[in-house]
Order: sequence, then structure tokens, then C-alpha cells
Amino acid sequence: MAKSASQSSSQPSFFFRYGPEITGLLALVGATLVFELLVRIGVVNRFVIPPPSDVILAFERVVVEEDILGRTGATAFEMIIAAVASVVVGVPIGAALHRSALWRRAMEDWVGAMAAAPIVLAFPLFLVLFGRSPKTIIVMAFFHGLAPIILKTIEGLSGTRKVLINVGRSLNMTSSQLFWKILFPSALPVIFTGIRLSWTFVLITVVGVEYLINLGGLGQLINELAERYDLPGTYAAIFFVILVSVFFFILLERVELWLRPAR
Amino acid sequence: MSAVIEDIRLQPAMVVDDVVKRFGRGDELVTAVDHVSFNVQQGEFVSVIGPSGCGKSTLFNIIGGLLGDYEGSVMIGDERISAPHPAVGMVFQEESTFPWRNVIENVAFPLELQGVPKSERMDRAHHFIDMVGLASFEKNFPSQLSGGMRQRVSIARTLVSQPKILLMDEPFAALDEQTRLLLGDKITQIQQELNQTTLLITHNLTEAVQLSDRIVVMTYRPGKVKRIVDIKLPRPRTSDVVGSDAFGHYVAEIWNDLREEATRGMADSESAAARRGSHG
Amino acid sequence: MAATGEMKAPARRAVAPAIGGAPVTARAVLLVRVVVALAILAVWEGLSRSGLFYGEVIPSLTRIVASLGKLLVDPVFYKNLQVTALETFTSLAIGAALGVVTGIVLGANRFLMRAFEPYVYYLSPTPRIILFPVMIMWFGVGPASKVALGALSAYFAVALSTAAGMRQIDAILIRVGRSFRATGWQMATKIYLPAMRVPILNGIRLGMGTAIITVLLAETKLSNQGLGYMIMQVYTRFDMPGLYAILIVVFAIAGACNALIGKLAREQV
Repeated sequence: MAKSASQSSSQPSFFFRYGPEITGLLALVGATLVFELLVRIGVVNRFVIPPPSDVILAFERVVVEEDILGRTGATAFEMIIAAVASVVVGVPIGAALHRSALWRRAMEDWVGAMAAAPIVLAFPLFLVLFGRSPKTIIVMAFFHGLAPIILKTIEGLSGTRKVLINVGRSLNMTSSQLFWKILFPSALPVIFTGIRLSWTFVLITVVGVEYLINLGGLGQLINELAERYDLPGTYAAIFFVILVSVFFFILLERVELWLRPAR
Repeated sequence: MSAVIEDIRLQPAMVVDDVVKRFGRGDELVTAVDHVSFNVQQGEFVSVIGPSGCGKSTLFNIIGGLLGDYEGSVMIGDERISAPHPAVGMVFQEESTFPWRNVIENVAFPLELQGVPKSERMDRAHHFIDMVGLASFEKNFPSQLSGGMRQRVSIARTLVSQPKILLMDEPFAALDEQTRLLLGDKITQIQQELNQTTLLITHNLTEAVQLSDRIVVMTYRPGKVKRIVDIKLPRPRTSDVVGSDAFGHYVAEIWNDLREEATRGMADSESAAARRGSHG
Repeated sequence: MAATGEMKAPARRAVAPAIGGAPVTARAVLLVRVVVALAILAVWEGLSRSGLFYGEVIPSLTRIVASLGKLLVDPVFYKNLQVTALETFTSLAIGAALGVVTGIVLGANRFLMRAFEPYVYYLSPTPRIILFPVMIMWFGVGPASKVALGALSAYFAVALSTAAGMRQIDAILIRVGRSFRATGWQMATKIYLPAMRVPILNGIRLGMGTAIITVLLAETKLSNQGLGYMIMQVYTRFDMPGLYAILIVVFAIAGACNALIGKLAREQV
């Protein structure tokens, strides 16, 4: 009885229940239409903001003529190498720093400073060191992604509940058993938070440097379209990159939630 | 169910008359407080005791004026409480000091709201900080104090506005037993010094007997008054009273009433847990 | 009157020693840091002298220090520093002001939060620099486009942090305010604002970090003044010691600003 009651009440309340989300979406659509109108009646210069309809049409052109999928692949390739490398290097460094209280206290602040440092800005330096090749982009993204993983690995390992470690000791576990069976699994959700932050940095760095040095995948596409004064194309490419990034972030978040222990 | 009539020396400081509070609607309607009546005399220390889920906190919020929508009446003089009343000073169960203010600024907070000039409010705050025994910690921030000290800051902050009625919701719930006993001493001492009318909401039996002149025992869901017990332990009192025979008798007597309620409460929460378990 | 049975919490939380580890002294920490720093410098100097790298790529330390000295007495550097500082400050002021307002609106209203916060949240980590072409079209090639891009980057961090800070205010503090019958204005100035000071300052710290980077990157891409422009000039001249010097200075300035606001946020709490 209660079930049927709740069903009958949920049916008409769909709009009520998702009212805020629908409002947000409608506001977005509304803003787009307003821009379309403003451009068409000439209030806004179409060489500053192209009409949204042109941008939507430009999507097809960008996909077909500019090989956006191939470029996405190039960007993804650089990202994957940098992302994997930062995990493979970062987690062991974090674990090593966690083992020694002395080294941890000496180095943790430095790693923190590295996480906050504007590494992207050193791109001219990396250009000199590694040449104008994807190597430069990958190395920079790797360095940018490294610090959060180290920090979160330390945080996760040292956040292991004392009682769990005592359980391990009471069972006479060796220190490597202790690490693999207790410390590491308990730290994994926090480590993945580090990975999420790291890979977000990787994406930002890869796309940003591609744009700045005009090399590689999606970042370069935006730069080229802008230099050709192809306004609708530039906007379309930017929206495409934003959509891809948002999709990537949501994916990372889902995995992080999935790894978090049930409470 | 009507209030037990004490010797009528004075008009009661507060009269709780037939208060009812229900939450939810339709099938989900829950009666949290069910026709509760009692009164508090001037200078008297009254405790309301009951198991978790007896509507104690709801009652606290009604008397404090934070829950304005209820049936019946809570009267102070001839005013019905429906919003926070200047005569009632509340001390909360949770840690409620402002982390960005040091001890003396925390305690002076109510005076600041009233626009009392700075030097006067510092003097008055100092007086009550001294009373709760934190004189040497005035410049410390809450993060530098222990839980018991922070709770004393909250009590001083409430006392500084000189409320007619001090209303406390399990202020010692988060503290360990020894600290609780010692803080109880402090409360008794302050209450006797100021002749402070006090209403304490608690689920701790020994604490209630140690501090009170009268104890209102409540039933588990819906929360009704089961019995009102006079505690005729001598005053001035200290925590030594805990060792006396009379104390033991009172505790045993009230536990007799409470056991049944607590058992019902426990059974309820166990079956609720079982339901959650089978769902998840 | 003694605080019997209660312990004053230690002012600074001691770092727990690792399992079975010896207690760590401040001197040992300092020693490790000095050794690591010296090791890095020694490796650098070694690489520089080894001749493994083409010409100037890894210049000797003495030459970097010399360049650093030259840079710090160069009036051109200070002129460019001023340009970048002004652009960054303006962008932070605009971005933070808009961000705080947005954050309060989203934090106070659940409906608006559900309607609009996802957009702010998911847009915040997207690469900002790719919006630079758009900013150039809107605001021209001068400082305005850098300010706009910087403001945009700062905006997201401040808005999200403010909104979260508003929602995380301990409900008990609001009940305390109500129990003492604080007026609306008193609630705002004495409870909400102080409680949100730390998250807002943290948002501004994060926002400033991204604003600095974004402004500088925009300057490297297209401008004729500012530190970013100076970096590109040094790079085109292939003056490697100069490039290292200017990057060291920029990193130091960014780190100092970050530490300063971080200190403000931690103070008294």
C-alpha cells in the first residue's frame, strides 16, 4: 500500500523533484537563445561572439575536416603516458616517505610546494631540454601530476587506523605483509583521491601546453582555428574540449566513489 | 498528570503546561512530546531524565524557543514561549564555542549583541570566567582547551547574560565520568552561589540525582511524564553525596522507573537496526 | 579553581613517529634538507660540467646566480613585474568578488545550488588557458584579456570554496546565535562571516595561485609587456641562465604569495 502511494505521488512530481536541475538546464538553453537573438539583431558583434547556431553547425566541420577524433587520440596518448608514469613513480615515493618519519618531515613540505608551483610556466625550459615534441608535453604533465599522488599516498598510509595495525601485529605479520594486507588497502581510497587530482592536473597541463606551444592534439586545434580567425570553429573546439574534460572528471569521480569503502 | 504542587512560597519561574509536539504527517506522524506538564520554582534545580528517544531534546528546543510551533504552553511569568526568550539561557550538548574567538570574547558574546560597552562587558565576562574556574585561560582559543573546559566556556557564556532560567541539554554528555562529577560540583556550587533556577535535560541518572532538587522522569516514545521525584538530599551539596545511602536509594528508585522505558527503547532501536540490515 | 582532571591540549600536534622509528628532532630534519639541497646542486653542477648536454641547456650554478643578480637590479624587470602584479591583482579582485557573491548565493539556497553548482563545479578544473582566444576577441590583445582570463580562473575556486564553507558552518553555532536572539545583521557579521573567513581565504589562495599562472601563461602567448613576455624574450634569445633566473624569481613570488594568504587563513583559528 505504501509502495503504490509513493509511486502515484512520484509520477506527477517528476518536474517538482528535478525542478532545480531542469531550471539550471533551461537557464543554459535560455542564455544560448538570448545570445542567438542578440547576435542576429546586431546588438552583439558576430565577430566577437558568433551566433550559437553557427557554433553548433561548426561542430560537424571541426569533426570532419579537422580530424578532431585523431587529435583527441593524440592528446589521450600523451595523457595516458604521463598519468601512468606519475602513479608508477608517485606511489612508491609516497610509500617510502611514509616509512621514514625523518624523511617525511623533511620532504613533505617540499612536495607540497611542488604541487602548488606553476610548473606549466616553465614550458620554455622544457622546450629547450626536450625539444618541440610530445616528449616535452608528457614530461611536464608527469611532473605536474606527481606531487598530489605522493602527498595523498603518505596521507592515506598514515591515516590507517592504529587498531588495524595492531591486529596485524597481533597476528605476527611481517612488515611487507602489514603493508600489502593492511596499510595499502586501507590507504587505497585516499590514494585514488590523489590520482584523481593528479590526472586532472595532467589533463590541464597536456591541453594547455599543446595550445601554448602549438603542438599535438586538441590544444593545438584551438590555437590553429583561432589563428585562422575561424570563430565558430574555435568556439566549437573549445566546447568540445570542455565536454571531454568534464566527462573525464565525472569518470574519475565515479571510480573514486566506487573505491570508497561502504559506510 | 498535572504538576505536583510544591509549597507555594513563590510564583513558579516557569510552568510547562500540557505541551504536545508531533513531527511528520499522515502515517508518519510521530508524537515526540505527549502532554507534558511540570513547573520549575525560583532557585530550584530540576532535571528531566529519560532514555534516548523520549523527546528530551524536543522539549529543550521548545523551552529554548527554537521550536516555536507546538501545542500547550511553556509560560514564563505571563508570556508564552514561541521564540528565544531573554529570560532563558541555553547551554547545548554539542561543542558550541566559537573557534574564532578566544575565551573572554566567547563569553562576552551575548553582551556584545546587547551593545554593552567594551570595558563593562569584559569585566562581566571576566567575573563569570572566574566563576567557572578558567581565569588563567581568558586569552586561549577553544582549540587550545579540553572538552570539559570548552563546555565551561559555554556555561559562562550563557550565565553572563544573567538568564532567569538556565536551560542545559546534556552539557556533559561528551565528557568522561570523572570530569563529569567534578563539573557537576562546579555547577552545584555556581547554582547555590547565584541561587540560579536551572533546568537540566539529561539521560544520566547519577548526574541528575547529584544535582537536582526534583527529577522529572519521562517515558520512552511518546515522551510523557512518568513520575516526578523530590530529591531531599541536603544542601549545600558536593559530589561526596554520591557515596551516601540516600543517594543510592534515589538512584535505585528512579532506575526502577527508567529500566522499563530504556528496555523498550533498546528493543526499538534493535529492531530498527535489523530492518536496516535486511534492507541493505 | 584548578582545571582538575583536564589537560590542556598541546598547541601543536606532534608528528607521530613511524612504526618503530626513533623520535625525529628538528635538527635531523634540517640536516636532511640541507643534504638533499646540496646533493641536487652538486648533481646539477656535475651535469653542467660533464658536457653531456648541448651548450647552454644546463648552465653552471655560478652563471645562474650571476643572471639572478643581474635580473634583480634590472629596472626592466621591475617594470614588467609591476605590469604582471597589477594584472594579477585586478583579476583576483574581480574574480574573488564575483566568486564570493556566487558562493554565498549557492551556499544559502538549495534550489540554486542544485540548479547551477554542477556547472561551476565541473567547469572549475577545465584548462582555462584555452579560453584565451575567446578573451582576446572579447577584450582585445592588451592587459584586459589577461585580467579577464585571470578573473575567470580565480572565480571558480573562490565560488566553490565559499559555497562549501557556507554549508559547512556548524549548525550549533547558528543555534547559539538564535538562542541569544541575535538580529539578522548580527548573525551575518558575528557568526556567518567569521565562520566563513577560513574557507573564503582558502578559496582566494587557490584562486590567486591559478590567477598568477593564468595571467603569466597568457602573457607568454600574446603580449608585449609583463613577466610572461619577459620569459618569452629570454627564451627567444636562448639566454638559458636568464631563463632559469626569471623562472626562479617567478616561482619564489608565487610561493610567497601562497604562503602569505595561507598564514592569514590559519591565524587565530
